[in-house]
Amino acid sequence: MTNQERKRVDPLPMKETKHGDTVLEARGITKRYPGVVANDHIDFEIKAGEIHAILGENGAGKTTLMKILFGLVQPDEGEIFVFGEKVNFKTPLDAIHLGIGMVHQDRKLIPAHSVLENIILGHPRAGNILDLKTTAEEITGLCDKYGFNLDLKAKVWQLSEGEKQVVEILKALYRGAKILILDEPTSALAPPEIQKLLASIKIMTGDDLALVPFITHKLPIVLTVSNRVTVLRRGKVTGRLQTKDATENSLAMEMVGREVVFRLERVEVDRGKPILQVENLSAINDKGFQALKDISFSVHEGEIFGIAGVSGNGQQVLAEVLAGLRKVLRGKVLLEGIDVTHSSSLDKWLKGMGYIPSERVNVGSISDYSLVDNVLMNYYFDDEFSRWGILDYKKIRKLTEEIISEYGVAVPGPDTAAKSLSGGNLQKVILARVFTRKPRLIIANLPTQGLDVGATEFVQNKLLEAKKEGAGILLISEDLDEVLSLSDRVAPIYEGEFMGIIPVDQASREDIGAMMAGLKHRVAGI
Amino acid sequence: MWDFFARSLNASTIFTIAALGELIEQRAGILNVGIEGVMLFGATLGFIVAKTTGSYLLGFLAAITIGGLIALLYGFFTITLGGNQVVNGMGIWILGFGLTAYIGYPYTGPLGMDRITDFFGLSPFFFVGVALIIVTWWVFSKTSLGLKMRSVGENPSVAEVSGINVNRTRYLSVITSGMLMGLAGAIYSLNYNPVWSINFLMGWGFLALALVFFSMWNSFILLGGSILFGTLWQLSLNPELVLPGVLSRYIWRTVPFAMTIIVLVLMSTKWFSSRWGAAKPEALGLPYEKE
Amino acid sequence: MKLGSYEVKLEKKLKVTGWEAAAISILAILIALVLVSFIFLQAKVNPLIGYKEIFSFAFTNKFGLPLTINRSIFILLCTCAFIVPMKAGLWNIGMAGQLYAGALGAFAVAFAVGAKESPNLTLSPGIVIPLMMVGAMLGGALIGAIPGFLKGSFNTNEIVVTMMLNSITFWLVAYMIKDGGPFMGGGGEGEGYKLPESIFAPQIFGGPFTVLIALGLAAFLYFIFTRFKIGYQIKTFGLSPTAARYAGISSFKIPLLVFIIGGLIAGLAGYHNFAAVPGVYKITQNYGNYGDLSFYGIICGLISQQNPLAAIPIALLFGGLTNGGRYVQGKLKLGFGIDYALLGVLMITLVFFQFFYRYKIVWKKIDKEV
Repeated sequence: MTNQERKRVDPLPMKETKHGDTVLEARGITKRYPGVVANDHIDFEIKAGEIHAILGENGAGKTTLMKILFGLVQPDEGEIFVFGEKVNFKTPLDAIHLGIGMVHQDRKLIPAHSVLENIILGHPRAGNILDLKTTAEEITGLCDKYGFNLDLKAKVWQLSEGEKQVVEILKALYRGAKILILDEPTSALAPPEIQKLLASIKIMTGDDLALVPFITHKLPIVLTVSNRVTVLRRGKVTGRLQTKDATENSLAMEMVGREVVFRLERVEVDRGKPILQVENLSAINDKGFQALKDISFSVHEGEIFGIAGVSGNGQQVLAEVLAGLRKVLRGKVLLEGIDVTHSSSLDKWLKGMGYIPSERVNVGSISDYSLVDNVLMNYYFDDEFSRWGILDYKKIRKLTEEIISEYGVAVPGPDTAAKSLSGGNLQKVILARVFTRKPRLIIANLPTQGLDVGATEFVQNKLLEAKKEGAGILLISEDLDEVLSLSDRVAPIYEGEFMGIIPVDQASREDIGAMMAGLKHRVAGI
Repeated sequence: MWDFFARSLNASTIFTIAALGELIEQRAGILNVGIEGVMLFGATLGFIVAKTTGSYLLGFLAAITIGGLIALLYGFFTITLGGNQVVNGMGIWILGFGLTAYIGYPYTGPLGMDRITDFFGLSPFFFVGVALIIVTWWVFSKTSLGLKMRSVGENPSVAEVSGINVNRTRYLSVITSGMLMGLAGAIYSLNYNPVWSINFLMGWGFLALALVFFSMWNSFILLGGSILFGTLWQLSLNPELVLPGVLSRYIWRTVPFAMTIIVLVLMSTKWFSSRWGAAKPEALGLPYEKE
Repeated sequence: MKLGSYEVKLEKKLKVTGWEAAAISILAILIALVLVSFIFLQAKVNPLIGYKEIFSFAFTNKFGLPLTINRSIFILLCTCAFIVPMKAGLWNIGMAGQLYAGALGAFAVAFAVGAKESPNLTLSPGIVIPLMMVGAMLGGALIGAIPGFLKGSFNTNEIVVTMMLNSITFWLVAYMIKDGGPFMGGGGEGEGYKLPESIFAPQIFGGPFTVLIALGLAAFLYFIFTRFKIGYQIKTFGLSPTAARYAGISSFKIPLLVFIIGGLIAGLAGYHNFAAVPGVYKITQNYGNYGDLSFYGIICGLISQQNPLAAIPIALLFGGLTNGGRYVQGKLKLGFGIDYALLGVLMITLVFFQFFYRYKIVWKKIDKEV
């Protein structure tokens, strides 16, 4: 489209579509990156009023396909047809003009701006001098139509995850989107918010909008929500199913190509004495709000204590406080009986704590360092590895080589720079680095986030191994299923408080889900 | 007394305009620590052109142009080449510092032209500065362009998917800021202190940088801050107004710089830092790479 | 981008080898020299002749060579003073101020032992000279500690603080040597007092002994950063403060430490320049210019990729260029400040070449359509 043509297009295009018309068709989409074919001749189409899910694990090519459909990336080969016409997206603006909208997993919103400002950002109707009144009225109309309830003047950073998602949806709808691409729409939501979203989706499809959710492994959601499923594996389409014909297992087989174990082997271990004792812990987050309110719990030898919660409820602050990376406001923390409330992070490493941070790249490793130097991060302070201030590189190299072989890290050698490792391999190195210290307490913060099924399984098994060897593990995860399958006790966290501490055999998914959303409260168990 | 205040406001004008330039590009996410370099170019070239042509207008135009061009160079390194913004800024500063020392040396000395008419000592540029402050505030809060610029500074990838051309918007902000910095430099060399010597800006570019941080990216606080600074500077030149006879006048010259450090420290106290963190454009100083 | 039957693309580099980095740096210097030749042309001087004069005076002339060496020592020390904080990711552009403070510190010691009053000192030079050096290091370290402490405690921007301190110490020196300050020289010309001959810096091979200090320091720093625990901690902090905190590295101690060391080294540069270079031995009237030339330390540090050993030949080259440039200024009637212009052009060329550390140009032959 030329710039002239763009200006003439009505900002709210009303394409006439009947329920069941094909609105988007992609043929032979191929995209290559150095060393990998991300999308390999993918065919895909979606009809008005339909929900067509695209399923695939991390690394299957979903993200690339999504970016191509939205104009963020150009395909090397292939054609896209929108409402029957061949199109060529050069930028997201082209896709937006044709009625395609995207709701991102990481919420592409500006937290410092208001809801209204985020929705009208870049919108033609905003005018050169911002017309806040008219646009607000129109958007409120949209909210009423689809059953959304939002304060347009609120700043986005004040909203919950579910509300932020609504803002993104509104943003796409206000631009006239008839086709909505949803990137992991339910991964950051607590179960009750998921219900709300599903209700809105119903209204949208009733209005002949087409929705394409891209999903990694929330298979139950796929089954509830979609009409059709297309499965991707290693860049190719490996399965097309009508949802009513699919089961979790059949979907998983298509995704991974082999049987996937859904429940890990439960490991029964005798629980020992408390390794970590937390008493009335309170702490403040970066924005100055109290993120932890009077938390008390303990973690014992040989147990996995799982904290389940939607992101942003204080888990990260808790992990940082326990790891010695954040100051405590009030309360006490005891490691094997020793008061470490105000100890530095280095002190805690020396006293037998091990921390697996949630951010592999910015915190857990240094991209430009070799693996040797990365392993050194948790060892440079040991007398074993330095003499008179000089580091014993021979010893560290040997340790790194052992780690590489024992943990099956796929790299040419210990001098490889960390930035050339995949997420899974990098996580293996970080895990190994921490585990080889044989810590008594392991804090595992989102240890499987962003990993593919194989790496996830590996990490989870390693955690179970460590538990067998008598370590106490504090697991923080946003994947409720993971928490339930690994933990011995589960503590749902909501707004900085534990809604309960429940032994896993007494925990039901519905209950925990409700507690994660703050809807239920059980007095602390054991 | 009036003289003192007039001189203070005249000094503050230069801070205002230079810092305003930096504020604009910082709100779009670009950090330029080489403000001093851009100002030196504007000041030196403006001085040379004015002196050789005898026209103030040509001098100012030359300064604004060179300011925009140097900023364009900076933008090329930062936006298109995606380099480290601090390194690039240092480069612009030292380029300015080094080249203007060489280019300007033959013109060392006074400008030798009739002064621009002023209002009893208060330079007309003070009002230009105030007007620019108001215009900037209005553009940022009331126009679509302002919203786009702010978004580009908060989260460029969000702006990108909203259909905004991030690089173009950033280039626009960088060029605008360069023109303002060039203008500020020229006001210094043609109006406030029309005598050329090596490094005659004495670090004012860095003071302007500190001012932008202090202002928390609010143009009105910026105006207040620069008036304060201008007064402080003038005071350091005339300590006899406050404490006659105490300490060598050389020691007094250190006061504005010491005050800047103290202000920076105060800014890291709790009260300041949480507001500052909230007001800071999130993507400031971070390179943006299109997928 | 297509050029004929080739497609030119930019590809991100995963790694930069030592040789590649050296090649890029050398290329940058050469390009800068070519650019500066335009200045020669504008002054109606043949650049080839200009450079020939510069290099021959700097490196082969019996008066020029010692001047070059002195200048190179100064630059090398400033480079080391820049490199140490840079390894921690912090910009020390306050070398000027730190070297002034160092000069003040050294001359304060001399003043304290009565050097200003009379040439006969009660203490032997063997004690006074090391004490002067300690004074210089203390002075530089004190001024250096300020941005380090503020960065470590409050995360204040070190660029602004060091720049402010440059101006502050500049005026402090001005006070000390003019306007009735204690270090005022006898001639009333606005320069410091002259050191008595007994405490001139001892000479080695015709040059001040500070050459050994500078070389030794560069080698020592090289080993610190490749083998020592503290070097590892500093580098880690520089690459990622968040990862460093995770690894238990103190985000207060590291900035403080590197700036104290940087200031200390710059202080030594001040001692060298005003108390060790033959023919000087006082804080000169144009001490400000030396502050400006300390910025060569920045360029040298960046070009050498913060490798102190690589900085040695580069410091020598820059010492020669600036020295020769000064000489040629007079001889060939170029404008004043050729060394300043070179400084500016070198810096910007280097900044441009940073790009090639991250991207390489790839030529691909376009497959002919069948």
